[in-house]
Amino acid sequence: MAFDELVNHITPEVRAVIGARSDWQEAPHPVEASEVRRFFQALMDPNPRYWDDEHAAGTRYGALVAPPGFPVHAFRRPADELNDSLAAAGDPDFDGLSRAMRPGLPKLPIPLSGILNGGYEYEFYSYPKVGERIQCRSAYLDIYQKQGKAGPMVMVVIEDEYRAADGRPLLKSLNTMIMR
Amino acid sequence: MAETVYFENVAIGDDIPVLTKGPMTTAHIVRWSAAMENWHKIHYDWRYATEHDGLPDVLINGSWKQHVLAQVLSDWAGETGWLWKMNFQYRGMNIPGDTLFAWGRITGKNQRGNYGVIELEIGLKDQNGKEGSPGTATVVLPLRGGPAVPYPFDPAALN
Repeated sequence: MAFDELVNHITPEVRAVIGARSDWQEAPHPVEASEVRRFFQALMDPNPRYWDDEHAAGTRYGALVAPPGFPVHAFRRPADELNDSLAAAGDPDFDGLSRAMRPGLPKLPIPLSGILNGGYEYEFYSYPKVGERIQCRSAYLDIYQKQGKAGPMVMVVIEDEYRAADGRPLLKSLNTMIMR
Repeated sequence: MAETVYFENVAIGDDIPVLTKGPMTTAHIVRWSAAMENWHKIHYDWRYATEHDGLPDVLINGSWKQHVLAQVLSDWAGETGWLWKMNFQYRGMNIPGDTLFAWGRITGKNQRGNYGVIELEIGLKDQNGKEGSPGTATVVLPLRGGPAVPYPFDPAALN
């Protein structure tokens, strides 16, 4: 414990990536009607703006849309990504996720294996429309260390900006990830 | 659809209609995980969740809970208002068997420009009243007889 307390994970290498911002990345495929359907069915949100063409045409969105937080999940495994992340699933310690925080951001040189999602701050501007492409860019806004009960925790604050391919803003999020 | 909510109809201390989800089961969790292509084992591998990670059970996805909060707020704002801001912390875990109640209470209201800006306290309580995702939100509503809230929403319209 005494040694743990002395560990400082905020090394010069970590400090060097604070402020790093990715280029705009585009989701591998346009927003699909079936993808939206599975989303709102699993959310149990039957709002007709997501599935009723006639209703959607009469709204200010003008067409079928996806729920406001949908862009956060638009970056799926591309068809041409042949590396299967589940290839490691036989490892008893494999948790099902990779350690990369965001596409286009450098990996964090921090030797902590536990990761928790601390929460989000969202600002919404518009709904994504079925058929359009979603773009995102991300930045490490801040990385700092806190002392937890079980040892040091590193708080990683990531800003994500989402827009439609035509430039229309969709949403902005601040996400705090906790590594420990 | 819900009736239009105008700024003038809203009072500090009012509760917005509660949105209930559940009781939640492992089937609900795996349906969401599959829709999101989220393969994190704490959501479907009971042995991994309990023995490896020391959790009480498999967990209801935090990613799902955030959209429930967005839903209760955007349902209330309706097609003439706009859910502008929403923040929350993941403080509590939820497991199969839980029923979740998304709620919001109005804590502030201000007219800005031609629009009404409503501040809310929000959260997601379980069947025992335990709060697991506390946060705040800001919803923009039209004034009675005023212009529609711009879409796409532009915060500069409030100046």
